[in-house]
Amino acid sequence: MIQVDRLTKHYGSYKAVDGITFSIGRGEIVGLLGPNGAGKTTTMRMLTTYLSPTSGRASLAGMDVIDSPLEVRRKVGYLPENVPLYLEMRVREYLTFRARLTDVPRSKRRSSINHVIARCRLEDVENRILGQLSRGFRQRVGLAAAMVHDPDILILDEPTSGLDPIQIREVRALIRELGDRHTVLLSTHILSEVEAVCGRAIIIAQGHLAVDEPLDRLQSESLIILQARGPADAIKRALESLPGVERARSTTQDDQLSTFEIKTTEGADLREELAGRVCQNGWALRQLEIRRSTLEDRFIQAVTQETMKAQSELEAV
Amino acid sequence: MRHVPTLMRRELAAYFLSPMAFLILLAFQLIAWFNFWELLDGLIQSQHNLSSRRDPLNTYISQSIPFWVGLLVAIPALTMRLLAEEKRSGTIETLLTAPVTESEIVVSKWLAGVVMFWVILLPFAVYLPFLYYQAKFYFDPGPLVALAIGLTSLGMMFVSIGLFFSALTRNQIIAAIWTFAILFLVVFLTLLLYFYVGSRRGEWAEGVRYFAVLLQLESFGLGRLDLRYIALHLSVSLFMLYLTVKALQSRRLG
Repeated sequence: MIQVDRLTKHYGSYKAVDGITFSIGRGEIVGLLGPNGAGKTTTMRMLTTYLSPTSGRASLAGMDVIDSPLEVRRKVGYLPENVPLYLEMRVREYLTFRARLTDVPRSKRRSSINHVIARCRLEDVENRILGQLSRGFRQRVGLAAAMVHDPDILILDEPTSGLDPIQIREVRALIRELGDRHTVLLSTHILSEVEAVCGRAIIIAQGHLAVDEPLDRLQSESLIILQARGPADAIKRALESLPGVERARSTTQDDQLSTFEIKTTEGADLREELAGRVCQNGWALRQLEIRRSTLEDRFIQAVTQETMKAQSELEAV
Repeated sequence: MRHVPTLMRRELAAYFLSPMAFLILLAFQLIAWFNFWELLDGLIQSQHNLSSRRDPLNTYISQSIPFWVGLLVAIPALTMRLLAEEKRSGTIETLLTAPVTESEIVVSKWLAGVVMFWVILLPFAVYLPFLYYQAKFYFDPGPLVALAIGLTSLGMMFVSIGLFFSALTRNQIIAAIWTFAILFLVVFLTLLLYFYVGSRRGEWAEGVRYFAVLLQLESFGLGRLDLRYIALHLSVSLFMLYLTVKALQSRRLG
């Protein structure tokens, strides 16, 4: 549904988005993650044709964002950050206005507006003025407006920012429901949101794509921490010779004590085998534990790597 | 252009849901009332010396100072929010990610502005039937029609200038100040230039006179429907609308 190929956006000499490539299939809910200023909003604005890319291509539902922007807009529902609305309008009036702009045929207009009002649970406020509604209701009106023309793709920029915990749960539940009929790309800097809603996470930092993986794989990765007394090099060789061990990295060395981070293929739990190997060689085992990596670990790892890369590039210049 | 009625309707509704339109209407109602009183006064006296009397229609609207001052304040006040407010609140992003073109947005905002321009002139029309039917002063409606056409094309030009400055900024006040300054120059500088040129270089005066907006309207008020003036107003409008569309499109380049 969404194909992005080396998409780049420069603001003057500043590279807001730098050559990111990914693709999203039908019915996926994907979280676009990144620290503030990483380029999430710029990416979304390029996908919705609000901005045009400096270079690279992107196509949504088979339509190119540069060649046929109006067709792309017909296929996409977009909820911008901070949910801009015409605050003097009433809820149903605003949705009618959006339905007209997005070319919902006259015969279907009433039924599709009723449908989104029901779906976003706006029945109680449909005749209220938007300016008088709470933040949570405005967010739902924004969502309803984004989906009134029944688009294939929904692009939501920080759909839960500024909401209270109960409203956040409601909006998340709504997004999960939407996933069965629409392809959803949502941006956020709240990690638990991605864990709660998305099937896949794309992390961008400093305008680069850092991670693009399904969530279950991101969470399944594990690391075994092992501390033993003995010569570091010999222990390392012994550990790495064990089948299933990808690499062992020595983290700290203190006299005779050395600590290793061991990565196994597909995150297999090899604690018993590792313990056996250490004992066989007569080294004393001090610590052995398995750490499941969380999305937060991956996020922080990816962001710090990109930041360091950017700094070293700056220094090189 | 099929989205224009939808966009225009929202724009006009927004005008009447804020106090601005009503304040301007009230101000113009006062100006119209004052001018009508002056017009009646003139009409009564002029029975004695017809030769020295000013043209009634031009006294009433097109050459009256309160009318021009009101217009120069009202146009920026009407046009300043058209695009600047959309940019400030971010609603422009929802518009330009719907299947709507920049030209559709600009044309509908311009037309809404022109309709509002007509609405604020309505107070002047209110008194004329009284003059005709009540006072039995059977004036010739011809010059009135010419003036209405002239005012419309002038209004189109003024609103397009205001719309352009509204597209350049997200701050309504800045848009209003720029519009006021440019309209002020268009109205008074052309007149001063005409007087200056007229006294020094007679052969240029004819050409400069053509650009003096105040004199253009005086000519309409006398019942001359000069198509050259209308062509000038419409071409300036078109050019400003083109620039406004370009200003909106330039956002895509970031």
